[in-house]
Formats: sequence, C-alpha cells, structure tokens
Amino acid sequence: MSVATDENRYPTLTVHGKQMLDFMREHPCAPIFRNESGNRLTSEDLVKLGPHATRVTSARIRNDGGDWISNFIAKTYADVPYYRALGFAPANLEHVPTISRKDLSADIARFVPDSISVKRMMHFQTSGTTGHPLLVPSHPQVAGRYLSYHKHALARFGVTPRNGKGEVGVILLGYQKKCFTYVSVTPQMNESGLAKINLHPNDWHDPDDRARYLDAMAPEIIAGDPISFAELLKLSLSHRPKALLSVAMMLTQGLRDELERRFECPVLDIYSMNEVGPIGVFDPEIKAHILLQDRLIVETLDETGIPVAPGDRGEITVTGGFNFCLPLLRYRTGDFGIIGEFGGEPIITGLQGRRAVRFKTATDEWLNNVDVSHALTGLPLSQFGLHQREDGSLIFYASVKTPKIITKARRVLADLFGGLPLDVELIEAEDKALQYTSDLEPPP
Amino acid sequence: MKREGPRIQVLLRRLSETPQEFLNEPVIGGRGHVVVSALVNDFMTYLGEPVSLESLAPYISSDRGKGRNRLALVMIAIWLLYDESFLDTEISQNEVEPVLRQVTRDLSVVTGAHSFVNDPDRREELVRMFLSRMGLRPSGESEKQAADRLTAISSLERDRLLAASRTAEKRAREVREALARKAAQESADKWSRE
Repeated sequence: MSVATDENRYPTLTVHGKQMLDFMREHPCAPIFRNESGNRLTSEDLVKLGPHATRVTSARIRNDGGDWISNFIAKTYADVPYYRALGFAPANLEHVPTISRKDLSADIARFVPDSISVKRMMHFQTSGTTGHPLLVPSHPQVAGRYLSYHKHALARFGVTPRNGKGEVGVILLGYQKKCFTYVSVTPQMNESGLAKINLHPNDWHDPDDRARYLDAMAPEIIAGDPISFAELLKLSLSHRPKALLSVAMMLTQGLRDELERRFECPVLDIYSMNEVGPIGVFDPEIKAHILLQDRLIVETLDETGIPVAPGDRGEITVTGGFNFCLPLLRYRTGDFGIIGEFGGEPIITGLQGRRAVRFKTATDEWLNNVDVSHALTGLPLSQFGLHQREDGSLIFYASVKTPKIITKARRVLADLFGGLPLDVELIEAEDKALQYTSDLEPPP
Repeated sequence: MKREGPRIQVLLRRLSETPQEFLNEPVIGGRGHVVVSALVNDFMTYLGEPVSLESLAPYISSDRGKGRNRLALVMIAIWLLYDESFLDTEISQNEVEPVLRQVTRDLSVVTGAHSFVNDPDRREELVRMFLSRMGLRPSGESEKQAADRLTAISSLERDRLLAASRTAEKRAREVREALARKAAQESADKWSRE
C-alpha cells in the first residue's frame, strides 16, 4: 500500500458508501476537507474483526492478566527486537523492566514485532503531553478495533449505535489551527458515514455553516476533546446526538454538565491514548474510570517500577493491548491514578495527567497545546515544554541547546504567537510537570 | 591455557542439567528469588573466605533489562564453577572472581542467559571461555586444539551476531520507511482521535 487511492482507502466501498462520501463532502455547508483517509478495511479484515468484537463485548475485565499474559511476555521477548536484546523472557510481569514514551520515541522501529508485515503498516502521530513526539505504528484492523471498545463503553450508558446505510454514524471534532480532516464510511456499520472536521473558522466558508453542517449530517455520535466541545457549545445547532465521546484530554465536571444539559445525552469521558487505545470510560456515578480492555493489564507503579500499595496513587502502566504492531510491556503512561475495584470491576480513580492547556497569542487568539506540539514537531528535540507567564511572555524549555535548533524553534514560536517575548531554558532533567503550563486563565 | 583442566564433556553435561534454582529470577529492586551477590559470596567462601562488600557490587543491579540478564548468567556460571572437577585445578578465589565478572559481562550482552544452558553451541562457548580465561585447557586437548576450538566457536557466534545485526538493521529501516510513507501518514478511521 505504497500509494493511497480510493480503492485502498475504502476497499469494500459500495454504491451506498460512495453516495455517503459524496453527501458528506459535497454538502453546501461542508467544511474544506484538507486531507484524505479511509477505513482501509478489506473483506478479510472485516472477517477477522467479527470475533474480536464479540470477545470485547462479552469479556469480563479482570486486570490480572489471566492465562494470556505469560505467553504474551514470552512472545514479545522473542519477536520484538528491543526485548530480544534484553535476554530471556521473565515468567512474571514484575520482572519485566518498565519503558516510557521516551524509549518509544528514541527508536519506535525496535518495538515493532519482526513477524508483522510492513506492507499495510500505517501510523498515528501523537504529540502527547510528555513532550516526546511519537509515530505509533498501527494497522487498519487495529484502527477498526476501536469501534468495539467504543460500543462497549457506550453500552454502559445504555447507548447502542445503530446508524447504518444512508446515515452518518460519527463526526469527530477538532478545534485547531491545523487539523487532519476527511470523510469516510464504517463498513462494520453498514457504511454509515464518518467525518473528521475542524470547528476552527479557518476551515469553513462561513462560520455559521458549522452548525448547519452538523444539523444536516445528524451524526448519531459526536467525538471530540474538551477544547472542540467547548467550541461546539457556542454553535446554534439543533441536532441531538445519542452520545458525545470525549477523548485525549481531561474533561472537567463543569464542561460535562454543560454538554449534557445542552445536548440531552450522555457524555463519555474516555481515557485513551494512541499507544494503547481506549483504556477506560469515566462513570460519574462512582467517579472513576472503568477499564475497557480485557487483554490489558493496568498497574500503578512507583518511581522504581514497584507496584504501589493498594489504594495508593501511582503511575499508570499498561501491558498488552490490541495493537499487534506495538505490543506493550509495562509502558509508563505518564498519567497517575489509583487502581481499585467496584462491583467486581477494575477501576481507576483520581486520574490525572491529561489537562489541556491553552496559550494566548499576541492577537489575543487562544491556541490549543496540540497546535504548539504540531508546530514544533519537525524539530529534532527529544523533549520540550512551554510556559506562558501572566504577562503573556513565553518560556520555551528544550532538551538541547544547539543554536541552529533553538533559532528554528524561536522562529516557529514567533510565527505561532505573533512575536511574543520568548526566553529559552535548557531542560536539565526529565520533568513531566514542565510540558505545558500557563499562568493565564483561558476564557471558559 | 598451559594447565590441564577438567574434561569438557563433564562441564557441558553439568550446564545442560542446570537445576531450576539457578535459573530462577535474580533479585532486582527487591523482587526476584535469588540474591546473586549472596550466591557469589557463598561460592567465594567455598573457595577461600568471604569477600568484601565492595567486591560484590558488580553482582547487584537495579536494571531489570540487561542487568537482569547478566545476573542470570552469573547464577549459571556459579553452578558451572561448583563442579568438583574444578577442585583439582587449584584455582584461587583471586583468580576466579575477575574471570566470573568479565566472562558474564561479555557474554550476557550477546544473548539471553538461558541460551547458555539450552543451546549446545552456547554451552560450549561458555565452558571454553571460562577455562581459557582461567588459563586452563580441557583435559585431553592440546593447547592449540583448545585455542582453535574456542576461536572457531566464538567466530561462528560473531558471524551469527553480525548477520543478525544486519538483518535487524534492515528490518528497522523497513519499518521506519513504512511509517514514513505518505499512505501511512493518512492513517485509518478510528471512532475517536486521541
């Protein structure tokens, strides 16, 4: 799949699917779609996704590994170059060393199993909140598996997505200066429509088209992050989706309440990351995230890699997952929480680490931290951070002091922020707290 | 390799019969089954007298990655060196400890520690390496025969490693190229984007 065409973007596309793509793309109020993408799922992929979906929706989540974990460790040590170099496979997880995003971003290729063909490999780019930009290797089947976990999460809130032929299933929202946008269809849902749109006015012929388009598409589910949902609240759309899915950043109680009131539907706060997919969904009744994956072990560790005592806060560390292109062993997520149990189900309480940060430009425009990450992504920095002082001036933290790189970073940030005063400081040690911080209070 | 040492077959069999106790997890960061520094100290005491705390430092690690593999190889090597046939060689504690440290350091970066139990070629490499570094030649072999065999088995392993390293580099390059392709950048549908 070296060249992307409609044929391999939508390998099983029917006449109905094509009509749906045209409907979403050519609607008079449609945004400017900047990119192209697709489900890439072949008939063979769809056959394989069936049993996976059945397992996910019927499995009991245990979080103790069950009978798959020792095989998973042995296979990963045999098949993944990074682990093969460490010697023989431990029988138990506790003897496996932890890794972090820094290890993955140093050379992700060493974490891809040798048995995986590169032919259909693709990637999800992630800027993350720990300042180590990363390309996460993936596969169309892996992307297709997300749907099962989302359905599983939605079912907890009494929502069953049903939209199929001739209907729009999901619209994914972004609110960024630059955003990857496209239309597609979901073959597992009888080719219901899927669109990823950017609510930033830059992507629309008329800002009022945003509400008109969403009303016309009438998606059953709307997915986004707290920043795009905050923008959604400003639009005068009348459509009521069955549910909102919030991912990527922490959703505050206030914003959740406002969204629920406005759209009269459940708002699911999904704890998810590119490296591992959806980990948990927040249940407001018990104020905790309920784990979603049956083949994912979630531990909470201290700094030395030892599990913290039950009830103590620790770094959320994951093993397993459904991305066969990136089998993870004790991957430290950079997020913190407390592992517990409610009604026999494993939960995470007090999850912390995914706060969205907004920065103000010289022209009083508010930028999302994702915009900053995107702008800096081309620079060869293993780690960086940005802080905005109360007077609007910025401090850029960099892991290197190479003049050429710093000069380039200065130029990128000057363009992005309209020339706000900028100091540069060297990162002396790993410090997650550095990543994105601001002394300014963003507008609600 | 001037002095005659034990028969190599005896040592090879001993390695292949390494008991589970010597294949258990070394203790790292308070987790595991075998305190390797204590095992080394016991062995040194068996040869002469307990060693100082400082000289046990190389047998303590907090690294669950490569450090773990090295400590696991130390355990296997200790099992090997306890063989009675070494008693007649009159090897002193002072001679053994640096050899133990260096051989396990050198070989543990090459492959998994348990390969030196499970793989016949690696067993022979470990045994011959120890004998050679202790100035011994296997019983029944001339100095030249012993040296030639060690060189042969080591160079075979070097060739294997070189080939494996080339294959690994090629594969890593293919993965990086695959990830960098425009088609890979387009990605595929997910019902949410993190």
